Amino acid sequence: KKGGVTVRASNERENRGEEEERRKMNKKKIFSLAKGFRGRAKNCIRIARERVEKALQYSYRDRRNKKREMRGLWIERINAGSRQHGVNYGNFIHGLSKENVQLNRKVLSELSMHEPYSFKALVDVSRKSFPGNKNVVQAPRKVDISSINA
Amino acid sequence: MASSSVTLSLCSAFSTHCNVTSRRSSVILSSLSKPSLNLTKPVSGFLSPSTASTSRPAFPVAPKFAESVLEAEQETTDVEATVVSDVAEDKPKREEIFAVVMVGGRQYIVFPGRYLYTQRLKDASVNDQIVLNKVLLVGTKTHTYIGKPVVTNATVHAVVENQGLNDKVVVFKYKPKKKYRRNIGHRQPNTRIKITGITGYEEYPASPNVPV
Repeated sequence: KKGGVTVRASNERENRGEEEERRKMNKKKIFSLAKGFRGRAKNCIRIARERVEKALQYSYRDRRNKKREMRGLWIERINAGSRQHGVNYGNFIHGLSKENVQLNRKVLSELSMHEPYSFKALVDVSRKSFPGNKNVVQAPRKVDISSINA
Repeated sequence: MASSSVTLSLCSAFSTHCNVTSRRSSVILSSLSKPSLNLTKPVSGFLSPSTASTSRPAFPVAPKFAESVLEAEQETTDVEATVVSDVAEDKPKREEIFAVVMVGGRQYIVFPGRYLYTQRLKDASVNDQIVLNKVLLVGTKTHTYIGKPVVTNATVHAVVENQGLNDKVVVFKYKPKKKYRRNIGHRQPNTRIKITGITGYEEYPASPNVPV
């Protein structure tokens, strides 16, 4: 019995150690996720736990928002690139869809940045198929005034 | 085909562009009237105004630009130019071509010799040769082949390198005061493929690249 009692006690102590380790592991995980947080949120477990939970919720939501934001960014870039050739975004996309060109906005924005010749070819295709572009205002060219003496 | 002959001349021009060092730049400066001129350094953009001069000899602006750059390079880096050209000669030349390919519901801009990550291709094992048929656009130095919607008979050849998983994403759902929390980790399976070549686009009607 004595042996049984001591064995149980040692088991309990071992289990307590394991549980403590498990708790410490959880804290470790939370602190590793809380790197770079402001103030006590990176050091104190109670505050860090709250902030980490909030951060994970935000990341879940923002993984969906990122897709929306990126699409807006691509549209801005395509707009800028096509307006350099005198076509605004709406008419450009309409012309492309009329011609059944199925490039998506991500690829179109990359082409407008890195492959100017191919993008110009696309703008020409679009303008030919939908020529409703008479009201596009070209951005005013910036004139260099550094040579003028004040 | 006219386009193939133009590309052949480009390839030969490219083999010599690595030899344009400070030793020869004096010779080249004297013969700047020739329109077929390339810069010493590989340009950062894929297609640049100066390279258009190789395909369209009637374009007057590009040789002036090249001349100014060559002069600057000769003044500043004489020794470095030779070293750079030796290293550039050893590298195998890549085809100057790109394509837009649709794989796994997503579109990618693809260059031969580079790899990319796509959604997991279920029936592929490592070192499988793969042929991608949905080619939406092919761009070379001189022409752009715009597919409506697909460039017919164009294929992109690739090799499956690796079937792995994306980085882990922690999906944490939590409702306050309602004792609801779920903590799930997720790794999306992906496939890494290396692009070996782009073929089959020559017969398609092409739009020539006009300098912007």
